[in-house]
Amino acid sequence: MSFIPGQPVSAVVQRIEIHKLWDGDNLILGFSIGGGIDQDPSQNPFSEDKADKGIYVTRVSKGGPAEVAGLRLGDKIMQVNGWDMTMVTHDQARKKLTKKNEDVVRLLVTRRSLEDAVRQSMMQH
Amino acid sequence: MEEYDVPSAASILASVKEQEARFERLTRALEEERRNVSLQLERSSLPSDRLVGGTTGGSNQPLAWQQMVMQEQSPSNQTSLAMMQEPQEVVEETVTIEEDPGTPTSHVSVVTSDDGTTRRTETKDNVTNMKVTKMVKTVTTRTVRQVPLGPDGLPLPEGSSPLGSYTDSIDRRYMKNGERFITPQASSTLTRSYNNYSDSYNDTPDSQFRHYALHDGYGDVPDNYGSLSRGVNYRPYRPYMPTGGYRPENSYTLPIRKDDYGHVAQPQVPMGSSTVDLNRSQPERFQPEPYGLEDDRRSLGPDDEEPYDIEPDYSTANRRTLPGRTIREPLRNGPRVRGYEDPIETELIDERHPYIHGMYPAPLAQPERGSLASLDRMGGRRSPSIDSIRKDPRWRDPDLPEVIAMLGHPIDPVKSNAAAYLQHLCYENDKIKKDVRQLKGIPVLVGLLDHPKAEVHRKACGALRNISYGKDHDNKVAIKSCDGIPALIRLLRKTNDMEVRELITGTLWNLSSYEPLKMVIINHGLQTMTNEVIIPHSGWEQEPNEDSKPRDAEWTTVFKNTSGCLRNVSSDGAEARRRLRECEGLVDALLHALQSAVGKKDMDNKSVENCVCIMRNLSYHVHKEVPGAEKFQDPSALQGPGSAGTQRKKNDDAGCFGGKKAKEEWFNQGRKNGEHNKNYDTLDLPKRTEPTKGFELLYQPEVVRLYLSLLTESQNFNTLEAAAGALQNLSAGQWTWSNYIRATVRKEKGLPILVELLRSDSDKVVRAVAIALRNLSIDRRNKDLIGSYAMRDLVSNLPSGQQRPAKNLEEDTVVAILNTIHEIITDSSENARSLITAQAIDKLVAINRTSQSARETKAASHVLQTVWSYKELRNGLTKDGWNKTHFQPIATGTPKGSKSCKPGYDDTTLPLMEKNQGNRGCSGGDMIPMDELGPDGYSTIDQRDKDSKYKSSDGSSDLQEREPLKNDTNRKHYIRSNRPTVSLVDACDVKPQPVDSWV
Repeated sequence: MSFIPGQPVSAVVQRIEIHKLWDGDNLILGFSIGGGIDQDPSQNPFSEDKADKGIYVTRVSKGGPAEVAGLRLGDKIMQVNGWDMTMVTHDQARKKLTKKNEDVVRLLVTRRSLEDAVRQSMMQH
Repeated sequence: MEEYDVPSAASILASVKEQEARFERLTRALEEERRNVSLQLERSSLPSDRLVGGTTGGSNQPLAWQQMVMQEQSPSNQTSLAMMQEPQEVVEETVTIEEDPGTPTSHVSVVTSDDGTTRRTETKDNVTNMKVTKMVKTVTTRTVRQVPLGPDGLPLPEGSSPLGSYTDSIDRRYMKNGERFITPQASSTLTRSYNNYSDSYNDTPDSQFRHYALHDGYGDVPDNYGSLSRGVNYRPYRPYMPTGGYRPENSYTLPIRKDDYGHVAQPQVPMGSSTVDLNRSQPERFQPEPYGLEDDRRSLGPDDEEPYDIEPDYSTANRRTLPGRTIREPLRNGPRVRGYEDPIETELIDERHPYIHGMYPAPLAQPERGSLASLDRMGGRRSPSIDSIRKDPRWRDPDLPEVIAMLGHPIDPVKSNAAAYLQHLCYENDKIKKDVRQLKGIPVLVGLLDHPKAEVHRKACGALRNISYGKDHDNKVAIKSCDGIPALIRLLRKTNDMEVRELITGTLWNLSSYEPLKMVIINHGLQTMTNEVIIPHSGWEQEPNEDSKPRDAEWTTVFKNTSGCLRNVSSDGAEARRRLRECEGLVDALLHALQSAVGKKDMDNKSVENCVCIMRNLSYHVHKEVPGAEKFQDPSALQGPGSAGTQRKKNDDAGCFGGKKAKEEWFNQGRKNGEHNKNYDTLDLPKRTEPTKGFELLYQPEVVRLYLSLLTESQNFNTLEAAAGALQNLSAGQWTWSNYIRATVRKEKGLPILVELLRSDSDKVVRAVAIALRNLSIDRRNKDLIGSYAMRDLVSNLPSGQQRPAKNLEEDTVVAILNTIHEIITDSSENARSLITAQAIDKLVAINRTSQSARETKAASHVLQTVWSYKELRNGLTKDGWNKTHFQPIATGTPKGSKSCKPGYDDTTLPLMEKNQGNRGCSGGDMIPMDELGPDGYSTIDQRDKDSKYKSSDGSSDLQEREPLKNDTNRKHYIRSNRPTVSLVDACDVKPQPVDSWV
């Protein structure tokens, strides 16, 4: 999942559609993100490759829209509504997720267990 | 939940579930354990608190404890999942990095534990074979149940060690400080750094340790770099960087270091209060390298013109927002997960501020100061030994010749440190850049680009990037003269390191802003940049896999830099355009990237802007320059020898009015096309037997839709301008393809889109669109439609005499609009009637009589003459109170002309065009690809040049060259995104950001 310039990025992804919820005046998704190209990737506890500056799910609130939609702690967000999230700043990612005028976000996420599973099944074949 | 790209979805799903279940079990077990431990910790912390007073005797204990850790983390379990003895630590992963053998070995393992902390364990064998283990704890995210004490859940052994006492004391401190540090997260962060100190502290007590520490500073560098560079956070280290930078080996530069160090270190053995300990322990930490780059930002803070680049007070901003921060609130209330960087900000707040203000240029000289101040603040008092360090006159910076000499030092880290320091010194300092050049530093740096060690070539490249930035072209030439360009390209081919690639391409972008270097860059780097960056990042695949979805472009910094560089070189005349067009895969990749941008509706970024600009430039004169173009020439419109040649030169003077063709010829074309185009509505586009590729893609009617999408969706004025410019270029000229393009724009319903953009707030967008409309109206149908639907918007952009409309468009734009109006009403009395209906005559007469601009006057006069030439309209005009004199050139127009920059061209009888040609001939400047029929296209570009000339003075980067950034709304955005990368390597960290954001 680490990104090497010039090399195609391949990832097993899962599509997750989250319907935002009104929480007071705010539309919330019920999870939090960490990471971004402006953050210190080495401090990201979820990434496999400590140089990975991707956006990761760092918390998921219980029973929140994200959890309901199947988002998990540690998922790496690849895209938000088609926007690439692997090369964005933390704030850009946050903004893409929190657009007021969108009440549904479609995420493309990848997680280690998915990748491992694919790898294993590939090896069996 | 659907799964993609998975061969057998069911089996995978099953295995995933299986894994997840296992993980869940594991997690539960771990949490259980952790709970136990936290209880233990709670108990153990109390005693440790009491020990804070820190008997010196306690200093041995940490060793013992660390030793234990080391065993657990010994290199042998490097990659395996390891379970720490401390039960609450879930070890998710252990990474062991071996330092290169030349230096003391160091094993660093990073352990991410379930409680949200990352623990770094470093094991070293130092020269004396002393084994020292160093424990660095980093707090990361997700602490679910934060243990009340042992702030980060660090297991504190009984009979607590200094480590224990540090943590503990910190703990107390926040308590004292009240709410600010009250969150467990904050406390854990602090712990982290203090653990660091405690580590160095351990080194102090005897000389062996000291020795170790010296090496450590060095050995650490590579792995610390990543995080440190992000690192405002690590502020506390920074002060000591000078020493580390010149480790024992280079004591020649700063001979006193070692001893000093000893002195400093020694007295710091624990005493009194823990805060004192903190002070003491820090000086031992020599962490030179990571800060080289950071320094720039911090130290320049106050001087920097870009507010957010450095934002000298951004830390204060943080502090301000801190208490009420929404992110934090929930954390306080309960155990929540923590962002991985956030806490560090807290730590820094106090530290950086004084530093920034206190000691601008002397990062090496007086490094202590900043942190001392902060420590003072934090600790309330400081140890006397530190005072003495600060005053020690023997600490000094190496001077510039010394630094340059160090570039040639036999020891690699010295080289890289020197280069990094040089980068720092050069940051926005033209004087130093010049000095470096004169001291022959540039060839040495270029030489280091081929150095095998990543650290060395990275730093050298960083220094070159800063040096290459700025209006002093001599620096760029100096880089070129020592074959820096091929060296950069070589390195680009060789390295896979993203950062290095960013630096290389950033340097190339800087270099590409200087005209004479453009061709050199093309010669050495065009194909490499295309193959290494443009194609892979664009997502274009030469042989697309049928099954897989086409890949999207990735808007990386590398791509942005490279496309910026190509954008600059693409304006270097016909030969440059030819080379770019024929560069294999380039046009295909750019087009793919743009299509992907359109697909993802991500059209406002800089990379898109660069791509569109390149496309626009390459579209310029396609009908004359591409191989085989003559086959497609429209025989009915062959251009006479008097018309503009293919080698038309750019006119550098913004005030020049560039026309291209003899007026009459132009009119004729219009007429002829009109007839032809009648057919095009029914005419099928040429059938192709094989897919188009390469430069042919530039002018295929399919691109029209792309540009129109950009024009519809993009908010970026530069992109809008370039897309309109591309249509303008493509719709110019007389060949089959431009006929198709003009017709396609109409069929794709592009005319309303363009007309809509006449209302844009951006001057140059209006101008580009106006000229595009002018070219499009070569097509008779287009002319009729534009006459009917665009007239009102065109006219509303005109000033009323001296009174400018709200938009206050520039002269060039007004002239462009007038010329477009002129074209539209020529040969169409219907359109002239629309013009009158749009209340234009008032404005035209006012411009004709009162405008200060000779060019506006003249252009308005042409329009008026044309209107008057329609006898059928005169009656109505007379009724409105106009008479012939209103439509005649004003006699005084000529004197007015003398005010303009080109008095010589003030011939009212004829035309714009020829004058401009003469003008162009004498300018001899570069050619900037623009429209063929729209002289005003040149002014657009000139505008750009103007901007770039002044650019450096406004503190923006060379990277911006040719990118005006003048437009209001965009400006902020772009500066924001570009700014950080300006001259620094780790640009992204300029602004500490919330690390963990609830969404």
